[in-house]
Amino acid sequence: MWEFVNFYFLPGVVLGCIYALGALGISLTFGILRFANFAHGEIMMLGAYFTLSLTALTGLPPLAAALPAMALTVAVTLALDRAAFRPFRGAPAIISVIASFGLMLMIRSAVQFFWGVQPRPLLRGIQRPESFLDGAILLPPKHIVIIGSALVLMVLVHLLLSRTRIGKAMRAVSDSPGLARLTGIDVEAVIRATWAVAAVTAVAAGVLLALDTHVESMMGFKMLLPMFAAAILGGIGRPFGAVAGGLVIGIAEEVSSFPFGGTEALLNPAYKSGIAFAIMVAMLIWRPSGLFKGRVF
Amino acid sequence: MKKLLLAGTAAICLTGAAAGAAEIKVGSVGGVTGPIADIVAEIMEGRALAAQQVNAQGGLLAGDTLSLVLADSACDPKAAVDAGSKVVNIDQVVGIVGPNCSGATNALVQSVTIPAGVVNISESATAPSITALEDNDLVFRVAPSDAYQGVALAQYVLDSGVSTVAVTWANDDYNAGLGEVFVQAFEEKGGTVAASQVHEPNKASYRAEMATLGGAGADALVMFAYYGSSGITLIRNALETAAFARFFGADGMVDDEVINQIGAENLTEAAFTAAGADDSSPAWAAYIAAAEEAGLANPTGPFVPNGYDATFLMALAIEKAGAADRGLIAAALREVANAPGEVILPGEWEKAKKLIAEGTDINYQGASGEIEFDDAGDVAGVYSLNTPQADGTFSSVLLK
Amino acid sequence: MEAYGYGLYLVTLLSAGGIYAILALGLNVQWGFGGLFNAGIAGFFAVGAYASAILTTAATPEHLGGFGLPLALGAVAAMAVSALIAWGIGRICIRLRSDYLAIATIGIAEILRLVLKNEGWATNGPRGINRIPKAFEGLPEPWAQLGFLAMVLLTVLALYLLLERAWRSPWGRVMTAIRDSEAAARAAGKNVERFRVQAFVLGAAVMGLAGAYYAQYIKFIGPDATDPLTATFLVWVMLIAGGSGNNRGAILGAFLIWTVWSATEIFTPRLLGLLAGLLPADLAAELKAETVVRSAYLRVFLIGLVLQVVLQRYARGILPETRPAVAAAPPPAAARERG
Repeated sequence: MWEFVNFYFLPGVVLGCIYALGALGISLTFGILRFANFAHGEIMMLGAYFTLSLTALTGLPPLAAALPAMALTVAVTLALDRAAFRPFRGAPAIISVIASFGLMLMIRSAVQFFWGVQPRPLLRGIQRPESFLDGAILLPPKHIVIIGSALVLMVLVHLLLSRTRIGKAMRAVSDSPGLARLTGIDVEAVIRATWAVAAVTAVAAGVLLALDTHVESMMGFKMLLPMFAAAILGGIGRPFGAVAGGLVIGIAEEVSSFPFGGTEALLNPAYKSGIAFAIMVAMLIWRPSGLFKGRVF
Repeated sequence: MKKLLLAGTAAICLTGAAAGAAEIKVGSVGGVTGPIADIVAEIMEGRALAAQQVNAQGGLLAGDTLSLVLADSACDPKAAVDAGSKVVNIDQVVGIVGPNCSGATNALVQSVTIPAGVVNISESATAPSITALEDNDLVFRVAPSDAYQGVALAQYVLDSGVSTVAVTWANDDYNAGLGEVFVQAFEEKGGTVAASQVHEPNKASYRAEMATLGGAGADALVMFAYYGSSGITLIRNALETAAFARFFGADGMVDDEVINQIGAENLTEAAFTAAGADDSSPAWAAYIAAAEEAGLANPTGPFVPNGYDATFLMALAIEKAGAADRGLIAAALREVANAPGEVILPGEWEKAKKLIAEGTDINYQGASGEIEFDDAGDVAGVYSLNTPQADGTFSSVLLK
Repeated sequence: MEAYGYGLYLVTLLSAGGIYAILALGLNVQWGFGGLFNAGIAGFFAVGAYASAILTTAATPEHLGGFGLPLALGAVAAMAVSALIAWGIGRICIRLRSDYLAIATIGIAEILRLVLKNEGWATNGPRGINRIPKAFEGLPEPWAQLGFLAMVLLTVLALYLLLERAWRSPWGRVMTAIRDSEAAARAAGKNVERFRVQAFVLGAAVMGLAGAYYAQYIKFIGPDATDPLTATFLVWVMLIAGGSGNNRGAILGAFLIWTVWSATEIFTPRLLGLLAGLLPADLAAELKAETVVRSAYLRVFLIGLVLQVVLQRYARGILPETRPAVAAAPPPAAARERG
């Protein structure tokens, strides 16, 4: 029982938290700008590289260095929006999708040019798990940090969306852009805010992932498809849906290796990355609006 | 890139060699972008070092410059065909070093270089299928076929007193080949494979896999993976979940970055085989001295010595052929690599050039092994055992 | 000699470009005609390639078959298998709206990729299928290459003529009507689902044919043929840059973008060489091999940049859609909203 919790369920939660933060940004930009942003994974990766360089330059611990890295990444994202996406507002969404695909290539190759392709650690060495509840629960400190920071950020995003003026405007635009414009909402300001939130959560996802693994130039692209799956699963434009979707996919991926009643894994781990997609496709067929009744375009 | 490299190497050779001589182009094809970009970046440094030495010590033939023309095969068959077509047809290279991945190599040689009669030396394509190609004696490798290494590692693991292991391999052409051979050889030799699993590379966590494998009662984990795409994460997750403390593996794991990230103190019971000479051989010493002087980022990284050897051999073959002629170079390659002949070590270009001019037969002994090509253009399996050291590097000894 | 070399390169460039043109034509049937957002092109492409490879290679213990059948039969089977799979997927997913269909097809293609990679008894797993026969390969250079190129280009031409006909036929008009206004088409009594499945299956069959040609061209097929980057997203880039809803646009986009993708590698070194020439010699000498390799990444950056420029200059594609009957009229408002 505890073996299941410690080695399958909790690692799934850790992975799920990272997917969830990434999916949050995808879901928001998809809901408000109405296109699937292929460059989201690269924004995540870029933020992790900024953090890496800031820790090297200033000696700050990674989580502290992540804050200025977020500011930098938000600036870059806003500049990219202006250059690559703004000209296509009102054009068919597919154009923006293709533009984001081009951006994905550009960001990744720029990072590879400036930082190289070697994987680099944010956190060296091995963290042995600490025990809680008399040894029933085993968690390494960095996982507590990952789960904790993810929760804090999710609550902050929730407060932003539900309590602030701009957050309410974001939800209004997501629900009905035409109506929102009629009521005098500054749609461009909403879009900027959306990019900012997406960039901040993406950087957080990237840094937390790097804490658990390392920083490398393909890290964003490797996470992109499961994050898309999480966003769809939860329902587009539904931040809490994205969080739930991320957790479901993260947990499903890890738990699928559990040797239920034997020594063989339930599902051959070679098919692990298929799980996210199988869940997603099943969800689309069964309930296209997602777990949390997101938008159906 | 080519010109940039030229600028780099030419500036060095201008001081020594006669300027104004012709340029002889060799294709340097590799997966510069794509899934193993990290490994390939290091291999490219090995190749460039060989070219730099050749140019600094008199160049090719009548003082001609050896110029490596970089082309990106992206570890992808169609990119490799495209890259090969460019260097063969546009740059009119006399031979090709690379590409890196077996799939890319299979596609490139069948679609481009064999029809064009261009000789090809790959430093890292290890798939057994390449042996069987009808290649008109144009396809060579300085990395032994997977079929040998899995057997060598199985023997070593048993000799270390470990008889029950769990095995996992990344699901790509290189690691799957090694893993399957290992499992078969290990069981034939009387060992027990308690559990074996394929894993999908590029995932963020392998804790569940490690827990499942760790529950099978094995004494060690035998892992076949590239360090960047899954190897480091596997070891980290295995240690953190206390599933395994003892690790065996192969080439793809022999990179200082593994020690840098995991820490030597956590890797006291890790050992990885690699195709290559031991670090006490004169060839290795010559290579390492040159590599350190040139400031290579990681001269002992996976297939970096092999990349050096492939390039040096190509230069020797051009010299032996006596002309920038594709057919003659292909025919000369086996002569300069195989015994008998006066031994040439890495970096001994001047000596080799002189001997070839005198008509003496030479025999190159590389940093990655003695390099004797068999009829299929393969090299026999000579392996080193690499263990992490406290100073953050690997020490390697020849595996008998 | 030099011109001959450039000529041979041109042949490879056009052969690969032609295979992409077939893919782009297939996608145009699905997206340009039917508004179906298929983001799993790689899946249909790979299924076609594997089907053809398994049927045409000589018998081997490494994978299923090796049936040694004629190449033409392999190509037909590739189309059939691809179409069959598309029919199955279409039956389930076709009612999904555009973005959702995209995500579903991407997921299915990824699952297909895992199946091709893991079911080694049929596909030889990650090591792939080797020594695939190729049309005209018995001829001497350059006739072998030219023969293959001619076959690809003639296929592109034949498909173009066929699809133009379909586009102008009542079937094509119903398709675009459904694409632009589903409700109106439904009200006119059209069976929207059936037409959509037809477009989906037809497009997939064309993609399967491209897969068969690809297997021949490369002579090797491994699971990396399903790489979504070069087998799905790149095809989308080609269609959108060329002009969706326009068969000539699809062909032009494919050749143009593939040329950018491939030929940038020839020009970037020249460009970088010029830049390096401007540097002082001692500084240039310090540029190590690592820097040389890093500059290869700039090529991918350049590809992304060209794409942005093309998109901003030609937002509706270089050759925009023209309606057969009402070529002069502006596109209906509904068409702009789609996506």
